[in-house]
Amino acid sequence: MRKKSVTGLATSVAFAALLSFTGSAVAEEVSGGTTYGDMSLVTQDMLTRAGGDGNNFLHTNGNYAQTRYYPARQINTSNVNKLRPAWIFQTEVVETMETTPIVVNGVMYVTTAFNHVYALDAKTGKQIWHFKHKMGPITTYCCGPNNRGVAIYGDRIFMGTLDAKLLALDTKTGKLLWEKQIANPELGYSETMAPSVVNGKVLIGTNGGEYGVRGFVKAFDWKSGDLLWTFHSTAENSVGVWATHDATGRDMLRDIEAEKAALAKLGDPYKTLGGGVWQNPAVDLDKNRIYFVAGNPSPDLDGSLRPGDNLYTNSLISVDLETGKYICHFQYIAHDVWDLDAVSPPILTKVKDNDGNTVDGVLHAGKTGHVYVHKADDCSLIRYSEAMVPQENMWVLPTKEGARMLPGANGGVEWSPMAIDASLGLTYAINLHQPMTYHVESTPYPEGKLWLGGAFKVIPGEQQWGNVTAVDYHTGKIRWKVKTEQPMIGGILATAGGLVFTGEGNGQFKAYDSETGSELWRFQAGAGVNAPPSSYTVDGKQYIVVAAGGNTQLNYKRGNNIIAFTLAD
Amino acid sequence: MLENPRRFVIAMSLATTAGFASLIPAGADEVPQDKIELCTSCHGEAGLPPQPEVPIIWGQHFYYLYVQLRDYKAGRRANEVMQGIVEDLSKADMKALATHFSEKQWPETSYRSEATAAAKGETAASAGQCPQCHLGGYEGNSRVPRLNGQTVPYLTRTMLEFKTKVRRNSPAKSSLMVSYSDEDIENMAKYLAGL
Ligand code: HEC
Repeated sequence: MRKKSVTGLATSVAFAALLSFTGSAVAEEVSGGTTYGDMSLVTQDMLTRAGGDGNNFLHTNGNYAQTRYYPARQINTSNVNKLRPAWIFQTEVVETMETTPIVVNGVMYVTTAFNHVYALDAKTGKQIWHFKHKMGPITTYCCGPNNRGVAIYGDRIFMGTLDAKLLALDTKTGKLLWEKQIANPELGYSETMAPSVVNGKVLIGTNGGEYGVRGFVKAFDWKSGDLLWTFHSTAENSVGVWATHDATGRDMLRDIEAEKAALAKLGDPYKTLGGGVWQNPAVDLDKNRIYFVAGNPSPDLDGSLRPGDNLYTNSLISVDLETGKYICHFQYIAHDVWDLDAVSPPILTKVKDNDGNTVDGVLHAGKTGHVYVHKADDCSLIRYSEAMVPQENMWVLPTKEGARMLPGANGGVEWSPMAIDASLGLTYAINLHQPMTYHVESTPYPEGKLWLGGAFKVIPGEQQWGNVTAVDYHTGKIRWKVKTEQPMIGGILATAGGLVFTGEGNGQFKAYDSETGSELWRFQAGAGVNAPPSSYTVDGKQYIVVAAGGNTQLNYKRGNNIIAFTLAD
Repeated sequence: MLENPRRFVIAMSLATTAGFASLIPAGADEVPQDKIELCTSCHGEAGLPPQPEVPIIWGQHFYYLYVQLRDYKAGRRANEVMQGIVEDLSKADMKALATHFSEKQWPETSYRSEATAAAKGETAASAGQCPQCHLGGYEGNSRVPRLNGQTVPYLTRTMLEFKTKVRRNSPAKSSLMVSYSDEDIENMAKYLAGL
C-alpha cells in the first residue's frame, strides 16, 4: 500500500541522515544546530519537488502550485482519532499567529507577531535558536502585527517585516546575513506575507491597500539582496474598459459618466491606488511564470477619487518569472468600493474547461465567497463556484449612513489559503459570515495615514459564523459544507491520508474526512487556531503542526503555542 | 523630580534605528530641558496629568506622539493650547520630545469603569473593529496610540472632535466616529479608560 511506501521513504532518509555524521558532538558544534548536519541545505531541486516530499514542508503553501496537499498518509481517516500532541512550544510573543511552519530535515522554522523567528527541533520541540527583529519606529498594519512565515533556500531563510524590510538569516544560527528596505514604511508599506524563493529569486509583495500605497511584487537576489525586478500591481494606465459588471455578471452600479468627469479632472490615480499583493504567488516552473492576486484599491470605500477600473486591483495576475513582465490578468471586481479584495493565494492544478477538456488551471477563492476557476494560459475565467456564504444586496453602494451588504468586508474567504485534493477534484476553503454596513466619506490622500474613505462596521445584533466548504472545481458545485461557530480565518491543509485539517477562533483544531466532511477528530488548543497547518515526517513518524495564537483582526483569544501532533503509540 | 534629559537610552534608540532618513529621529538630538518642563507642567511630572482633560503621553508610542506634534504644527489637529506650544518646535525637537516621553512608564490611573457603561462601550468598539488596529488590550503600536488607561474626559473629547472634524488628522477615524452616537462614544471612553 502507498501508506507503507511513504513511511519507508521517511525512514530511509532519516537513516541516511544518521549515517552522514556520527554522534552528538557534531550537533554541539553548531551550538545546538540541526541534528541532521549538512542536510539543512535546501536545493532548488528539493523546492521544485516539494509536492511529492513526504518528509519536509518547504513552502508556505506546500509546493510551488500552492496545493497545500501533503503526500504522506501515515495519519489517515482510520487512525486520526489517535492523534495526540507530541510537543507544544511556547514562543515569547503572545499575539496573533498566522505563521506556517516550514520543516527541513527535522528542523522547523516558525515566526510570531512582531517578527520573531524560532528554529525548533521538529521531533522534540526543543529550541535551536531565536531571532528577534530590531523593529524600526514605524510599522504599519491594518489587521494585526502579523507574520505568515519564512521562505527557505540554500543555507538561508527569508522574512519580510512590519517595517517593510526583507531579511536573510542563516538557517543554522539565526544570524542576520543581510537586510533590505523594500519600501517606505512612513507611506504605509509593510510586510506580513512569507516570501517565496525560486531560481535564486526571493519574491515578495506588499501590504498597504488601506494606506494608498502603490502595490507591487519585487524579486530580490537571494545571495546579495539586490533588487532584480519590480512589477507594479497598479498599472500606469489603470482605467481599463469601464466594466459595469463583476466576474459573475452582476451590475456594480457604477456611475461611469461621473467617473469619466473625475478622470478628466484628477488624472489617472495609479500612484496611490493600493492593490497590495500580500500572499504568495504560485509558480509554474515549466513556463517560467508566476500567478498572484492583487488586493483592493485605495481608498477602500470611496471610488470618487479613483475613476476607472483601477487595474490591476482585485485581479489575478500572471507575470514572467525572469523579468517581472506582465503576461495576463483577470479582474474580479472593477472599481471595488467594498474592500472585497483578491488575497487568498492562487493554486495551480489541472481543471476541466467548459468543453470537458483538461487544461492547466488556476483557482482562487474570493472574499465574495466564490471559488474562481481560470485558464492558466490567458488568465480567463472558466467558471465560478456556487456562493459558499450568503450574499445579499450585492452590489449596493456604500452610503453616508451605512449600507448593509453580505458578505462583509472580511469575506467570504479572507487571506486564508485553500488546499486541494486533486484526486477528488475538490478545493477546500474556509469562510466568514460577518454582516457589515459600508459607510463612505470622501477624504483626500492623507500621505501615509489610514485611508479608508469611510468605515466598515460589524452589525452588533446579527449572528456571525463560518464554514469549511469543499468545492468541486471541475463543476463549481459545492460538495460538502460544515458550519462553524465563528467566522473562519487561518488556512487549511489536505493530506493523502484522506483528511483536511483546519482550526477555529474558539481554539478548536479539527480533522475532517476530505471526501465527506465528517468531523473525525478535534483538539482544544486553548487559543484561537487561526494559522495554516503543515505536516512533516521525522524518523518515520508523521506530524501535523499548527500555531495557536489567536487573531487580531477578528479578536480571537491570543496565545503563543506551536503544537505538533502525532499518532499515539 | 525631573528626569535627566540626556538619558543614554534615548541616544541608543536613536542610533539603532535605520532606514528612510525622513522618518528617523535625526542624530542624537538633545532633549530640550526647558521644553520638557513645559510639557510636564500639563502632562504631569510623573506622567499623570493634573487635569484629566489633558492626555497621558508618558509611555505612548514614539511615532504616534511625533505625528501628533507635527500635525498640531501643520494645523491638521486643531487645539489652541497645543498649537501654541508646538509653534516654535523644530522637527528635531519634536522627535526628541516624542522619544523622551515614549520611553517613560505609562502611569497607573485610579479610574474604574462602571460595568454597564463598559459593556456597552465594548460592544460599540467591537462593531468598529477597533482592536484590529489598536490591538488586543488596546495597547497600540507605532502609529496607533495606546488607549487603555487613558483619561475619560480626553478620550471622549478627542473622539467627539474626530466626529465633528475639529480633529482632522486621521480621516478614517472621523468616518468611523460619525457612525456613533455621542452616548456610544462616552461609553467607549469609559470602557477604554477602565482597561
Ligand atoms: C498648557 C497645557 C499643556 C502643555 C504645556 C502641553 N500640553 Fe500637550 N496637550 C495638552 C492638551 C489639553 C492636549 C489635548 C489636546 C487635544 O485634544 O488635541 C494635549 C495633547 C498633546 C499630545 C497629543 C496626545 C494624544 O494622545 O494624541 C501630545 C503628543 C502632546 N500634547 C505633547 C506635548 C508636549 C511634547 C509638550 C511640551 C512641549 C506639551 N504637550 C505641552 C496640554 C498641554
